[in-house]
Amino acid sequence: MNADLEKLQESNKTELERRGSIFNIGAPATEAVTIRDQIAVGFGDGTVRFFQSGSDPKTVKAHKGVVLSMTNYEDHVLTGGDDGRFLKISSDGNIDEIFNFGSKWVDCVASHKDTKVCSSGKTVYIWTKNKDKPQTLEHQSTVAGLAFDNKGKRLAVSRYGGVTVWKLNNNKWTASNFTWKGSHGTVTFSPDTKYIVTAMQENQIHGWRINDKADLAMRGYPSKIKSFTWVGDTPYLVTSGSSDAVCWPFDGKEGPMGRKPIVVANGGKELATFVKALNGEKAVFTGFTDGSVLLAEIDESKKPIMIRSSTGSEVSTIAISSDNSQILIGDLKGSILLSSLWADN
Amino acid sequence: MENTSQVPVTVLTGFLGAGKTTLLNRILTEQHGRKYAVIVNEFGEQGIDNDLVVDADEEVFEMNNGCICCTVRGDLIRILSGLMKRADKLDAIIVETTGLADPAPVAQTFFVDQDVADRTKLDAIVTVADAVHLSSQLVDHHEAEEQIAFADVILLNKVELVEDNDIVKVNDRIRKINPFAKIIKTTRCDAPLDEIVGLNAFSLDRVLDIEPDFLESDHDHEHDDDVTSLSFVSDTPLDMDKFQDWFGNLLRTKGQDILRSKGILNFKGEEERYVFQGVHMLMDASPMGPWPKGKDRSSRVVFIGRDLDNMNLKEGFENCKSA
Repeated sequence: MNADLEKLQESNKTELERRGSIFNIGAPATEAVTIRDQIAVGFGDGTVRFFQSGSDPKTVKAHKGVVLSMTNYEDHVLTGGDDGRFLKISSDGNIDEIFNFGSKWVDCVASHKDTKVCSSGKTVYIWTKNKDKPQTLEHQSTVAGLAFDNKGKRLAVSRYGGVTVWKLNNNKWTASNFTWKGSHGTVTFSPDTKYIVTAMQENQIHGWRINDKADLAMRGYPSKIKSFTWVGDTPYLVTSGSSDAVCWPFDGKEGPMGRKPIVVANGGKELATFVKALNGEKAVFTGFTDGSVLLAEIDESKKPIMIRSSTGSEVSTIAISSDNSQILIGDLKGSILLSSLWADN
Repeated sequence: MENTSQVPVTVLTGFLGAGKTTLLNRILTEQHGRKYAVIVNEFGEQGIDNDLVVDADEEVFEMNNGCICCTVRGDLIRILSGLMKRADKLDAIIVETTGLADPAPVAQTFFVDQDVADRTKLDAIVTVADAVHLSSQLVDHHEAEEQIAFADVILLNKVELVEDNDIVKVNDRIRKINPFAKIIKTTRCDAPLDEIVGLNAFSLDRVLDIEPDFLESDHDHEHDDDVTSLSFVSDTPLDMDKFQDWFGNLLRTKGQDILRSKGILNFKGEEERYVFQGVHMLMDASPMGPWPKGKDRSSRVVFIGRDLDNMNLKEGFENCKSA
């Protein structure tokens, strides 16, 4: 490469890129979760890599194919793979196979305290402390999303036709169904646990107010919503799927019913593919189809900051370390940027 | 738009016992130097074990968009999206469907779902037919008829068990339902794999391969719900507005009964050929370069479906001719 071109590329880098490290893994980054001062990333080559500022990532060969799902569990991560294995992995590379489903994929995983959950096909499997055999919950179609509420008393399971919310009482799970035609994917409880929201296989998200099952249809997106995140105290549900980060207000009695969302972080002709809240702030990171990432406050009058320039590959995951000091951005080509969020004082 | 990074997907249909598993085992075990993933159904025949075999549930979902034809395979959307995250690039994906499945939702998934359409493309629908039993299956099961009707390639398998004149009969029966599929006669599905996988049969320029010889409008049948085909040729240029009105309305109102449609069109005042190809109500259409020099500029359309006689297709097509 000639020196001028190098200089030009250097000058186009963002501050975050200049002080960060870039790792080219060569397989799509599928999921990222934070465990203390480390960020674990699952990849399309079956590896889980633990990233930490100042050192090379530790690589764990976990699955044969793709790491389809990942969550944190105590000091470990739980992963589900397309090799049918449900694993518990520690950052020093210790792998504990919780269950092997053979040729069935482990599509979703979830955890709460000492409870480990995964789904394979139409069934959800729940392992509680000191029990070898899982409890099973059956559904009418393949499970596409799992989420605990913040107390771990309710488990939302998304599927075709809506969501089943299971409630734990005296060690028994009872089901309550929330119905909306269509196929539902990723699911989340609002932080106050009054609402559940799903991303659909169509260009919309759907929510229900839990106490009266009132529907909230949030439409108007040009593409599917692959990612959402709760931001701030209001809170806002910020979603991908549009040329902006679309932020739905969930305050008041009615939430977003009859209200317009705020739109921030305009990506021009690029579509937002991943969104991640900055903990404790009313601000969100938004990754786009071209690999760029913007940081924006939930305020239409404020200008967003470009923190990662275009890489040519869609942003597939963003994670922030638990102390808010580090950010990790991964894309579908397997390029990882790990950088400190704040300039050194 | 042709995107080279799209992985081609072959849909494999056929009744239980026709030989689908034999073909899948060949695809997975032969030394072809390619990487194929195979999505099998939960009711499939046993005997396939390979890292690149994925179990699917054949969950047929209705889309919310109000189009009654828009049933898609929800599980397929999920599985294809998972396969696209693999580090190693797949050369092709093969989707097996159960013998009794309607192939339409599988095909429609590639038209309707944007993520699927961005990363993969429907390559061809391949139907394995049992030369011994096809004739009786066509009488007893409308699914068998649909699988023949939808096919781009038909493997007429087990021909070694059938007398020559019976092969001619079953071949003619297939042709009545589907005049444009390529028929390959096989023993133990022994057709070369490159005639089954990687065909680009759904590419619009393949529409240009429609053989005029197949386009004979004669057809006779016993039941009104039989699947048949009709085709029309016109040497008079068509009026684009009239055609769009007629064809759009036809697919909207009769799309449920029209299983496949294909055509090459010569519009008045247009230098380029227009081609289209459809599955039920959904279709792709685009200009496809100028007409070859020295060849007739004739428009040709083919319909495969049920109850075609009651759609006034001939009259409708004739009315599209420019004055």
